Amino acid sequence: MPITLALAGNPNCGKTTIFNALTGSRQHVGNWAGVTVERRSGFFESAGIQVEVVDLPGTYSLSAQSEDERIAAGFLADPTVEVIVNVLDASNLERNLYLTTQLLELRRPMVFALNMMDDAEKNGLKLDPTALAALLGGPVVPTVGNREEGIQALREAILKLACAGPEPLAAGGTVNYGPDLEQELGKIVREIHRDEELARTCPPRWLALQLLENGFKAKSLVERSHARQAVTTQVQSSLAFLEPHLGADGATLVAERRYGFAHGLVEEVQKRSATRRTDITARLDAVLTNRWLGIPIFIAIMVAVYSLTFVVGKIPQDWIAGGFNLLHTWAGERLPPGELTSLLVDGIIPGVGAVVVFVPIIMLLMGCVAFLEDTGYMARAAFIMDRLMHLMGLHGKSFIPLIMGTGCNVPAVQATRTIEARDDRFITILVAPLMSCSARLQIYIVIAGTFFRPVQAALAILAMHFLGFALAMAVGKLLRLTLFRGANAPFVMELPPYRLPVLKSTAIHMWEKGSVFLTRAGTTILGGATLVWFLSHYPGISNRSWSEELHRQEAAVRTLNLPPLEEASRLDDLALAHQSRVVNTSLAADIGKTLQPALAPILDPDHSRAEAWKDSIALTAGFVAKEIVVSTMAVIHHTQVGDRDGNPDVSGLQSALRQRSGLSPLTALAFMVFTLIYTPCLGTIGMILKETRSFIWTSFSVVYGLGLAWLMAWLTVQGGHALGFA
Amino acid sequence: MSQDKPKPLSDLHPGDEALVFEVLAQGRIRQRLLEMGFIRGARLKVEKLAPLGDPMELVIKGYHLSLRREESQCILVSEED
Repeated sequence: MPITLALAGNPNCGKTTIFNALTGSRQHVGNWAGVTVERRSGFFESAGIQVEVVDLPGTYSLSAQSEDERIAAGFLADPTVEVIVNVLDASNLERNLYLTTQLLELRRPMVFALNMMDDAEKNGLKLDPTALAALLGGPVVPTVGNREEGIQALREAILKLACAGPEPLAAGGTVNYGPDLEQELGKIVREIHRDEELARTCPPRWLALQLLENGFKAKSLVERSHARQAVTTQVQSSLAFLEPHLGADGATLVAERRYGFAHGLVEEVQKRSATRRTDITARLDAVLTNRWLGIPIFIAIMVAVYSLTFVVGKIPQDWIAGGFNLLHTWAGERLPPGELTSLLVDGIIPGVGAVVVFVPIIMLLMGCVAFLEDTGYMARAAFIMDRLMHLMGLHGKSFIPLIMGTGCNVPAVQATRTIEARDDRFITILVAPLMSCSARLQIYIVIAGTFFRPVQAALAILAMHFLGFALAMAVGKLLRLTLFRGANAPFVMELPPYRLPVLKSTAIHMWEKGSVFLTRAGTTILGGATLVWFLSHYPGISNRSWSEELHRQEAAVRTLNLPPLEEASRLDDLALAHQSRVVNTSLAADIGKTLQPALAPILDPDHSRAEAWKDSIALTAGFVAKEIVVSTMAVIHHTQVGDRDGNPDVSGLQSALRQRSGLSPLTALAFMVFTLIYTPCLGTIGMILKETRSFIWTSFSVVYGLGLAWLMAWLTVQGGHALGFA
Repeated sequence: MSQDKPKPLSDLHPGDEALVFEVLAQGRIRQRLLEMGFIRGARLKVEKLAPLGDPMELVIKGYHLSLRREESQCILVSEED
């Protein structure tokens, strides 16, 4: 049986580096039950004993106000946790000890890792671990997590404690809340003991403190007990005595005593040496959050991250896309024609390709985000952008996911992980798909290039990007005022000292993000791609007489003995004609025709277009990925995209659209608006499902996207008519 | 020298130092502020305002923290005498 160990500590105390140093690469990342907070666990073995390390979310307290705190408090209350390691930032001891005062109340065997000792020394602080150990009642191990110093000593201390059993060491340091509070706490504890069941689920003194603090979780625990009457009465009479007597409410009194304990401890164990180095963080902040320089520097950093992700990331993306294209051609030429081949060649290979192609940009963007987070700049970015984002009902940290959304919505949704408060994160996830991504740009280029003059086309494309951003603002505000009206999570954000990130941690993080995407979101995308292949190929693909007709025509062309180039182009034409026929009689076409009345007000307001139903096929394909809309339009309009060498050339499609599609400049603009707003791609849906872990919110995202797309496109058409455009 | 009347933290300017007098906020925000060290008598210093004027950066209990105006309005501080 492995020993279970929980790592608890404040955010930014270096808990993750301690975790990585303890467990090495033997770790597993998942989610805590029912929520999207990452659950990280790993193993180490020492002296033949297996230890499972569980990294709790970083929290400032255990008062169970936020999702993170509920998880941490819940897991610590679990009887399977044998040892708690409390990681403390030695350079910021007093605030870190606040959480410790709460952990001590749990009466569990506890080891203290006094981390970032090097920072503390550089700040001119001298700490006495032995004195601290005596005051806290548990072993204190000085560590420097990012250099893996003190890790072996920490392992030994953990094992020693685990083997000693809970009895002798559980009696550690106690916070003294002063005579008045202690007296009332004793009374409440006595009442709690009336229900032994209640006293066993939660240490009575811990529960009593939470009741004095008016803790919601504690109150609901007591509500379920048969002793609720007695306990509640005692709490009320205690508060009635304490509050006027000590001049503050219960929560303040408890917090004051805890900070009093922490302050006293720091006075005992910490000496500030006379020489204090000039603070690097202060000097960096003088520039990085400067009133005038802060925003330009922020923009420059965003440009750098964006270029690294989407410009550099495009290189491996192109290799991957090229590789899958080769595989597609190779398999298509070698396998006997038929439905299974088509499933593999036109369904599964491009489907897997569509998933894998995201991996480089996901890893790069997540690497950048982790780098910004670990250095401490992410908090500054939120500090700089918060005012603007708050106007949209969002958080300062929402800005980076939104900006990255203009490259690709998939990693943008994933990047919302940095936003702690659930409401802020969900709103950002829901509005991020409105940012116009680079795949949508291809569609705008074809459509605008076909129906507008060059300058107009450029303006129309630019307008799409602004419209996306404006809608994200409006929808964000609207969601905040309606579905996410709950108490605004307080924006009380620590600005941690700047630190050099540990590259190993960043690398581990990037690897995890990439592989988690492949396993979780990947299956959704592949499933969806296969479904769309089915819809757009059946029943035509199983029509024997059509495929025989194709073979007869191909054989006939070959007997003509034409020059090779001409023969190849004739064969391509035949294949294309066959494909068009299959698609245009497919289930997708049926759906398109059925949906056509719904789209008519925006794409065919005058009911003059015979081929309007083809738009719905193209838009259905756009559900899978915006990248395939142009090629799908080419197939359904029976033209070729790209010359024989694979160079993109859309002039054929553009002339076909101009001559046959019946779109007017106005309805073309409506088509662009619709493309901007409705669900970007299956990749985004897969990611939203992974990040919200909720079918309801994922469906909501799709439905509101379609609804809003329709509304805005309709307004475009109506507005255009009103202004006198056809 | 007599102490000035307590005033909201949001009225302070960069460079000002003060002592926490009372947290007026209620509910979640109150609990969070208490945990972060806004207890009676805690010394704080306003460091700067964000480039767009909000939020505010301050130092309390030896670490840096940022607060929106919404929250800093709910904290009464008294200037040191």
